Amino acid sequence: MDVIQTHLLTKSYRDEEAVRALNLSVGQGRITAFIGRNGAGKSTTIKMLLGMVRPTAGEATILGTPISDAERSCEVRRRVAYVAENKPLYRYMTVGQMIRFARSFYGDWSAEIARKLLREYQLPADRKIKSLSKGMRTKLALLLALARRPELLILDEPSEGLDPVGIEHLLQTLVARSAEGVSVFFSSHQIAEVERIADHVCILDKGCLLVDTSLDDLRQSYRRIDLAFSSAPIGEEFRIAGVERIQTDGRHLRVFASRNADIVVERARDLNAISVEVSPVGLRDVFLETVKEN
Amino acid sequence: MLWYKAWLETRSRFLASLCGITAIVVLLVHHLEDVMRPVGLSGARYFVALRRSTGDIFNSGQHLLVAIWMLAVILLGMGGLIRERAAGTSSLTLALPVSRRRLVWVQIAVGVLESIGLGVIPWIAILITLGVGGFPVSFSQAVFYLALLISGGLIYFALAMLTSSLIEGEYTAPAVAFGVAILSAMVCGTVNAIRPYADLWRFMGGDNHFSDGASLLRGPFPWLGAFAALSVAALLLLTSVAVIQRREF
Amino acid sequence: MFFTLTPTSGQPLYLQLMQQIRHAAETGALEDGDQLPGIRTLAEELVVSPNTVVKAYSELEHEGLLELRQGSGAFVTLKRRTRSRTDSVQAARRRIRDLVERLREDGLQDEEIRRAFEAELLYAAEAAKR
Repeated sequence: MDVIQTHLLTKSYRDEEAVRALNLSVGQGRITAFIGRNGAGKSTTIKMLLGMVRPTAGEATILGTPISDAERSCEVRRRVAYVAENKPLYRYMTVGQMIRFARSFYGDWSAEIARKLLREYQLPADRKIKSLSKGMRTKLALLLALARRPELLILDEPSEGLDPVGIEHLLQTLVARSAEGVSVFFSSHQIAEVERIADHVCILDKGCLLVDTSLDDLRQSYRRIDLAFSSAPIGEEFRIAGVERIQTDGRHLRVFASRNADIVVERARDLNAISVEVSPVGLRDVFLETVKEN
Repeated sequence: MLWYKAWLETRSRFLASLCGITAIVVLLVHHLEDVMRPVGLSGARYFVALRRSTGDIFNSGQHLLVAIWMLAVILLGMGGLIRERAAGTSSLTLALPVSRRRLVWVQIAVGVLESIGLGVIPWIAILITLGVGGFPVSFSQAVFYLALLISGGLIYFALAMLTSSLIEGEYTAPAVAFGVAILSAMVCGTVNAIRPYADLWRFMGGDNHFSDGASLLRGPFPWLGAFAALSVAALLLLTSVAVIQRREF
Repeated sequence: MFFTLTPTSGQPLYLQLMQQIRHAAETGALEDGDQLPGIRTLAEELVVSPNTVVKAYSELEHEGLLELRQGSGAFVTLKRRTRSRTDSVQAARRRIRDLVERLREDGLQDEEIRRAFEAELLYAAEAAKR
């Protein structure tokens, strides 16, 4: 069962369409990453899922509950932990008060996890939140989400504001939670992090879902093929299913394909290519190429 | 712990207003004690005059209290989810497993309790000051005044809640609320057609019941008027709840 | 034992893990009966999704190299067949080592060699399909 499912989810504002007919599925027990440029519609989508913004059209379910059902959505929020991009906390509370506040809402709160993270993150219980550094605020916001033992973790840019050690620790924590069955849905600009821990990636641009694939498939299928011919080739000859982008430069051709790289290679040989070089494509390049072509 | 959060959010405003109001009112009462202590009288006549002075002091105290109380409760009605959106914490509050309705009603409840406190405690201070000064105090009169203040004045709190659910600016919202409150007070106080029904100042100040002869509030408590005023307040509050429910964050 | 997974190498991480476990078994670094870390432990250590470890372990169990015991973990089970395979793999490795050395002497860079192998394997796979 998918923990998140959207069907033609749309959000239009007066001057732009933030999210267009989005069909998104986030699988249960998986780590799914949501990447896109700033303003691509990631935060808007998440806000619609959590009932903070009303969709213009389409529908969605989160943990099986339709987002339009206000009453049941309230209960679902007990099982979903969300940390917004700005890591919101009540500045007038102390660390201890904030923890007690959060704890009072969730029956599944684990005091043990809270204590452990408090110690690991070295958060002083008596300090007022407004006097914490950005990194410590991020850690506290994450602590509040993790100690709740949710079924679904939605994180918007979770590593922002953390130093490399903090980031490593965060990734380990997410991986550990995933091993316990928690579904993780996070958006990030840190492609390297995504590549390490995500099972599945969704690339959003201008409100549309351009890529929706498992990272295994991405690694296996996306290829960059550099070809050289004795005379200027016709690029369009290589426009087959799976070819996303073709660049020509004199006698050289660069093909970026999401699949069927082998067919591209075969066609290149049929057309007597002088050189054929196939290289794997990392997620960063997949993202950049996909977004550029859009 | 929503109540605790609402308390923490309004605590400074409440305590500052409480101290300010109490201090100002006590100062006035203390000053009036000197001015209105009857001279050259003795025995029963002195006591009657003293009681009359108490009534006048009560009246003056109430008028001053109404003015500053009104401003204070408007301040108490500020904040809320729209303000949280500007401050960036609405994503946290709205992600809680509680309905928006409950979030707003808790804020309302805390605000109403604080508003009542801002009336009760200064009145206790008035009674104590007068008692210490040797003036006879009438609890029933004090309660009458207090009831007029609260029942008539909660409209201002409700107005502030509604304004803060519509307007985001940290200074714009209270400015608009003050503006509307003062404007409506002026209109209701001058337009003859609605004056008898809608002059809240007179209502809250006790002018409708004040009998000059004995400087006392006379007559039955205006239950209908109080009910009408509280109904208007309730309506404004329900509207603010509805506004928040429909808003996008 | 220590593993290194490269997210950018164009090969799914679970396949990389499988290869490294197989390689260790072939060269004797892992012996029959050795225990591999639990799924969660290994995932946290390598900082990869537990699903990667699950896939790798399941596939290897399917191949007969690992035995997953409920509650105790994953154990290496080297069969006789795998042992003789070790020899052929080691012989192939030697040949590839010589070839790579010669290509390097001819002036080819490692990246060029890798891409050439990649293209050749792709072409061979396509030819095999036909």
